[in-house]
Amino acid sequence: MLSVRDLKVSFATRQGELRAVDGLSFDVGAKEVLGIVGESGSGKSVAMYSMLGLVRDANVSISGSVKFEGREILGLSDREMQRVRGGEVGMIFQDPMTALTPVYTVGWQIVEQIRAHTEMTKVQATARSIELLGEVGIPNPRSRVNQFPHEFSGGMRQRVVIAMALSCNPKLLIADEPTTALDVTTQAQILDLMERLQQSYGSSIVIITHDIGVIAEMADRVVVMYAGRPAEIGKEIDVVRYPRHPYTWGLLGAVPRVDSKNSRLVTIPGTPVSPLDVPDGCPFAPRCEYRMTICDQRPPLHGSDDHLDACWLSDEQRLQIRPTPEGPEARP
Amino acid sequence: MLSFIIRRLISAVLVLFAISVMVFLIFFATPGVDPAARIAGRSASPAVVAAVRAAFGLNRPLPVRYLLMMDHLFIKHDLTSYVNVNTPVIPQILHAAPVTLSLVLGAAVIWIIVGVLGGVIAAANRGKFIDPLIMFVGIAAVSVPAYWLGEVVNYFTQSKFHSSVFSWVPSSGYVSPLTNPWQWALHLLFPWLTLAALFAGIYARVLRAELVNALNEDYVRTARAKGLSERRILLRHALRCSLISIVSLFGLDFGALVGGAALLTEIVMGLPGIGQLTYNSLQNLDLPVIMGCVMYAAFFVVFANAVVDVVYALLDPRVRVA
Amino acid sequence: MSDEVLLRATDVVKTFTSRGKKLGVRSVATAVNGVSLEVRRGETLGIVGESGCGKSTLARCLVQLLPVTSGTVEFRGVELTGLSRRQLRPHRREMQLVFQDPYASLNPRRTVGDIVADPLKINKVGTEDEIGERVRELFVTVGLDPSSLRRYPHEFSGGQRQRIGIARSLALNPLLVVADEPVSALDVSVQAQVLNLMADLQETLNLTYLFIAHDLGVVRHVSDRVGVMYLGEIVEIGDAEEIYDAPMHPYTEALLSVVPELNDTDAPRRERIIITGDVPDPSDRPTGCSFHPRCPAATELCRSDKPELIELRPGHLVACHHPRNVA
Repeated sequence: MLSVRDLKVSFATRQGELRAVDGLSFDVGAKEVLGIVGESGSGKSVAMYSMLGLVRDANVSISGSVKFEGREILGLSDREMQRVRGGEVGMIFQDPMTALTPVYTVGWQIVEQIRAHTEMTKVQATARSIELLGEVGIPNPRSRVNQFPHEFSGGMRQRVVIAMALSCNPKLLIADEPTTALDVTTQAQILDLMERLQQSYGSSIVIITHDIGVIAEMADRVVVMYAGRPAEIGKEIDVVRYPRHPYTWGLLGAVPRVDSKNSRLVTIPGTPVSPLDVPDGCPFAPRCEYRMTICDQRPPLHGSDDHLDACWLSDEQRLQIRPTPEGPEARP
Repeated sequence: MLSFIIRRLISAVLVLFAISVMVFLIFFATPGVDPAARIAGRSASPAVVAAVRAAFGLNRPLPVRYLLMMDHLFIKHDLTSYVNVNTPVIPQILHAAPVTLSLVLGAAVIWIIVGVLGGVIAAANRGKFIDPLIMFVGIAAVSVPAYWLGEVVNYFTQSKFHSSVFSWVPSSGYVSPLTNPWQWALHLLFPWLTLAALFAGIYARVLRAELVNALNEDYVRTARAKGLSERRILLRHALRCSLISIVSLFGLDFGALVGGAALLTEIVMGLPGIGQLTYNSLQNLDLPVIMGCVMYAAFFVVFANAVVDVVYALLDPRVRVA
Repeated sequence: MSDEVLLRATDVVKTFTSRGKKLGVRSVATAVNGVSLEVRRGETLGIVGESGCGKSTLARCLVQLLPVTSGTVEFRGVELTGLSRRQLRPHRREMQLVFQDPYASLNPRRTVGDIVADPLKINKVGTEDEIGERVRELFVTVGLDPSSLRRYPHEFSGGQRQRIGIARSLALNPLLVVADEPVSALDVSVQAQVLNLMADLQETLNLTYLFIAHDLGVVRHVSDRVGVMYLGEIVEIGDAEEIYDAPMHPYTEALLSVVPELNDTDAPRRERIIITGDVPDPSDRPTGCSFHPRCPAATELCRSDKPELIELRPGHLVACHHPRNVA
């Protein structure tokens, strides 16, 4: 469905080259939910935006290959890209409070998108947008369709954004931190809605988040990103239960849990590396407690059975540092 | 929406009332000034002064005096000029107002069109050659003093090329649109252009800045993600939201200009408008006229602001409930 | 932890009046609606709730940054409500705040050394040299390099800024630190550093924390006791372990059930209870129990009668007509 190979995004700045994304490769299968997790500045959002031509900075340079349904979309003309965006690929954003144009009714905005991609008349498109609002769980869609964004609560606005993203039956849905700005109960409503819609629409979803809990809840497969590079890629259950990369270990250990009391959190020393001076070797090495001399060289993404990681540690070393709960044989 | 308009108008009336009280107090309750002598006119006999004092009730309590004054100003219309004795004030203002209104309205149409076009073109071509060019022309036009620009325009249209290229330009003055609309427009064309030049640049710059901000907003990103064309994003989304600040700027400028701030242009272009009237009355310390002009100016500023707020509410649904 | 009560709030109410949507109608939003609680010396009391539940307003009322509308706040046995600014000052020193946004809460035009020295200078604690020494000491305490004293806030990362905020709050050796969402603006790995630091400081300096957050995991991690707020009221308060393992209020139960979890063990997951709708407008409160419009277990009684906060287990109070996990 979506196949990204060696995606690189960099910005020319006064302080030098800012490497936001540096060699990202992943695939998204049909009806699959892929989670991309990383801390701020890890390049997870920039990667998605640059793929779709949403990074409109004169100083940006993008290279690599992005194939959507077998067709190369990197470097498409503006007009061709407009057909992809909103038509075949829908997007959901982080902050529903600012994602809608404040001066138009929500119905107007959904109709606008439908009419940009289909031959529907205004009346048909309005009927469709009422139907969509109902589908995403907005009560009284018939009257709500004529209301302005500020008349909706945060959770309801995010539902509107979702309705809009789905309006043209996209094959792929990209959700950038869709629940970060929302409360837990609203987050649960939205995640539940996305799961149900994914079943009925059969779209693939790429969900970008810093919350590994959301990934665990939603994703089939996970990409863990650090400093613009993938640190680990694998099935959700593998990454969460048998993490291989020291960064993933730290990330998982740092989350305060609701289900059990951990006496002390695992911390990763230092702060995330600035994208302005990513080291040539392993970007995580300066914060890694298992750092070796070889870490000055960039580790390749390697592994087996659909579980890849970019770390120089050998399997034996990893087992020693972090024995898996069921022992090595139990690993799938 | 209707209740919003009504509320806005009520508050406008209240503001006007407050202004009239303040103007009244400044002119008639200032210690050490005898308003009766001021109103009675230059070299008036003591008997006349006494008559004025009686007619305006200047020996009665302040609130009564205020009411009598408003009565003379707005109902009886019999306040007379201090300098030109027996010339009533109100007809003077009513005579000057259409001139100023014609000048400002025409100029406003021009500067809004030019400013919006300039701002949109500059914002759409950020980083290209045309953007800084428009911005430079804009700032240059803003920086030119009105009287200088007016004089230069006059020099070229009225004397230097008057016999050749600009032979169709009439000599300065004002013709009512009711007598001859064509001559009205022709007489005002260059004053319009002169006044508009001073504002179009600011509007283009402000609009460009607003547009550039708007283009970085989340909703524009959403619009792009929807697959809309750049043109539609710029005009229907970014421009629509940016117009809100242009409208408030326009309200202030328009109100102030109609209220007399177009003075320089009026004088240079020889237009007998409110600005000129105010200027003359200030020169002569013609108290009744000054007061009339101030009231008139206040009325327009307040009225323009009320209209702006209503337009604001039309443009931005979030304001309607507030 | 001792049983000595450091801070006691009794029936604290805070309302905000604003111009209503209709002409001439003023609307009164009750942000905090009759909260009573105790903070014991040496403990961490966590207050958890969703945005708009009044937890930040409550914190500001407790430290007298906002005047309460009614009710009383006692600190070490002294009633603070009604004290004058001058009378409050000695008590203020003992109660310090750490704010959510490490970007907005530090003055960008002053060096971080000056920022941390401010409370000392304002309260005239010691000479210039003594203050300088104390600031260096504070920097070391919170894990910052004292050589960076002369730098400005923008030169620090979010986590470091939050450390500066903590250093400032500790300058006057307070008894109570009120932390309002201190880690919610930070990345997970940095958040863990700050949480660990706060735990260490509590131990070495014998601090008492009132810890306000929306993140249920964070609150469980730091708290000895937890209060759950909904629409300006405490609906459940008690021992943290007990509340997380066996919540009695349906709201707490639903809240805990929907937190995304790392199912990294084979233990069965809690069943998700997704409550529908949005939090009601605090200026238009429901009748009876404020949670009843969204509660899966609501009955006629909940619609008409407001449940009192009562002690159903030792030290565990719940405001619900139909509590769970009672046995």
